[in-house]
Amino acid sequence: MNIVVCIKHVPDTAHLKYDAQDNLAQDNLEWVMNPFCEYAVETAIRMKEAHEGATLTAICMGGPQAKDILKRAIAMGCDDAVLLQDDAFNGADPWATAQTLAAGIRKHVPNFNVLLLGQFATDSMSGVTGPALAELLGVPSITFCKKAELKDATTLSVERETERGSEHYDMTLPGVVCVMKCDYEPRIPAIKGVMKANRTEIPTLDKAALGLSDEQIGAKGARVEVTKLYRRPKKEGGRKIDGSDAQAAVSQLMSFLREQKLV
Amino acid sequence: MTNAIWVVAELSESGAPLDISLEALSAAQKLAAANPADITAVVLAGSNTDLSQAQNLLGQYGATKVLALKHDLLEQYQVELYTKALADAIGAQQPQIVLAGSTSTTRDFLPRVAVRVQAGLAPDAIDLAFGANGQLEITRPTYGENMRAVVHTATRPQMVSLRAKAFAKAKPDSGASAALETATPDLSADMAHTKLTQRVKGETKTGKKLEEAEIVVSGGRGLKGPENFPLVEGLAEALGAAVGASRAVVDAGWRPHAEQVGQTGKTVSPQLYVALGISGAIQHQVGMSSSKTIIAINKDGDAPIFDIADFGIVGDVFEIVPALTKAIKEANMAAC
Ligand SMILES: Cc1cc2nc3c(=O)[nH]c(=O)nc-3n(C[C@H](O)[C@H](O)[C@H](O)COP(=O)(O)OP(=O)(O)OC[C@H]3O[C@@H](n4cnc5c(N)ncnc54)[C@H](O)[C@@H]3O)c2cc1C
Ligand SMILES: Nc1ncnc2c1ncn2[C@@H]1O[C@H](COP(=O)(O)O)[C@@H](O)[C@H]1O
Repeated sequence: MNIVVCIKHVPDTAHLKYDAQDNLAQDNLEWVMNPFCEYAVETAIRMKEAHEGATLTAICMGGPQAKDILKRAIAMGCDDAVLLQDDAFNGADPWATAQTLAAGIRKHVPNFNVLLLGQFATDSMSGVTGPALAELLGVPSITFCKKAELKDATTLSVERETERGSEHYDMTLPGVVCVMKCDYEPRIPAIKGVMKANRTEIPTLDKAALGLSDEQIGAKGARVEVTKLYRRPKKEGGRKIDGSDAQAAVSQLMSFLREQKLV
Repeated sequence: MTNAIWVVAELSESGAPLDISLEALSAAQKLAAANPADITAVVLAGSNTDLSQAQNLLGQYGATKVLALKHDLLEQYQVELYTKALADAIGAQQPQIVLAGSTSTTRDFLPRVAVRVQAGLAPDAIDLAFGANGQLEITRPTYGENMRAVVHTATRPQMVSLRAKAFAKAKPDSGASAALETATPDLSADMAHTKLTQRVKGETKTGKKLEEAEIVVSGGRGLKGPENFPLVEGLAEALGAAVGASRAVVDAGWRPHAEQVGQTGKTVSPQLYVALGISGAIQHQVGMSSSKTIIAINKDGDAPIFDIADFGIVGDVFEIVPALTKAIKEANMAAC
């Protein structure tokens, strides 16, 4: 049983920094493991623990610093990790990312059974990489998973959340699941895990090792191109009133709601 | 290639198109007004599904044609079968633009369709316009809702899913109608590798879907305990709103995850969002900051929710909310 988890290195969107022109201060960002990937790693570790003899590999396409989150994944409980790194991967969209990850998986873990991803990366907010990767690998995919457990070596039982409630699926493996927030929290690495992570060598594969051409990867391979990136416009003219006199505050709010034609 | 805009329309159990699909159709109408194009609504359905109601409404909202992809195997959503049916139809007819509502279904299968037809897909758009070169310029939130990106794709079709409530629904034209074209996709059962075993209806108490509600009233840890949520529900009921919650109260088990708004919950863009006893952490803002009007009631005047509120009351929810609910009920009565 080979389990693989794809994790992304992203700026911490709760602590973004901006320059004087309100552009992202690229050199000043704090980088973390994408929060949804944390849930994917946790789900993958639980799967591995419940299936004797299973191995768990973490994969990331990113810069040299992305090794930090691969180490974290090992410290949490992954067995090994591989970094797909090449300057030519820069500027990838989810499509070019999926091409690169597919090549990495074919090279490093061709006999994977379960492939887990996060539902969204908090920077791109796209949610495209997982199903796109599944399509490239020719396997089924299920998004918005909040639970995924092995029934047996060839069947994954998955619970996914939709607008209408939840759906339970059986998926014939190999297959891909994209993980949302789960009912459990990602574990914090223990000291023993951190020590193991520090000892583990993380191999790096570049575009040549993956047999990828420039047209498939990075900015050149991207199908969706960003032409402008700007800070969300601030709310103008917000009003804040004192509510110590509840009746008075409510009547002001009611006039506001009437002005806005909301009641 | 024909100059056609396709809108993938999803139907409710009753057979009517989802609001979010009508919003996408309305967005297509706007695009067609700027750059003339035929609008086709595409419906995937079982062989025996009655589409007369859908055909009527889709016509009234601007579709000139309804393309029905009908097959016994499409009765229920299944990722690989839906992917093949839609990708084959796109391949055969080559529309320039494919729009859809951004739902858990389209987010599940449109990325696969895009890979198969070798097109670019921009998910969860909040604005659409034609650029100078006639290419779609698509605005979408990024970086935890803190940034906006304008993106485009040089490949065809240009595929975009649209965030719920970000695009206004046009007025239906009761005189308009759509022609029906039915096609039978080439599918077989062995193409499917996932099987639905059980479906559990959502636990939102009001029965209103958060993503589709025009008004959302959410409660946070400031409510002190699950026993006080009737305050939130009462206000929601008076406003005809859906109930939402912060993650803090979902994690505490006071409310179901189906009601969670935010980065790890749902994204809503209603006309009105009312935040009660919610601090407004950035992860909560991710899910609601694109609401048209935001009202916050919080006893801490420095709570970050006030940074994005159009109208804020610094006060105690236990005093303000009952008075507000009463005032709204009275306003409702006066309007009758
Ligand atoms: C990776 C990640 C993902 C997350 N995803 C989400 C998400 O999807 N959604 C989400 O909501 N959060 C999310 N969070 C959590 C988020 O950071 C906050 O912890 C959470 O939103 C806080 O919920 P709250 O506002 O209800 O509680 P608190 O932050 O505790 O705020 C309670 C507020 O109530 C006010 N209050 C107290 N008593 C009263 C009273 N009597 N009257 C009026 N006001 C009162 C207080 O002043 C305070 O501002 C996420 C966090 C992380 C790290
Ligand atoms: N560069 C990357 N390396 C590894 N995994 C990635 C990368 N980019 C995206 N992913 C995976 O795809 C998921 C969804 O990302 P996205 O499609 O960008 O929203 C993430 O949660 C990751 O699991």
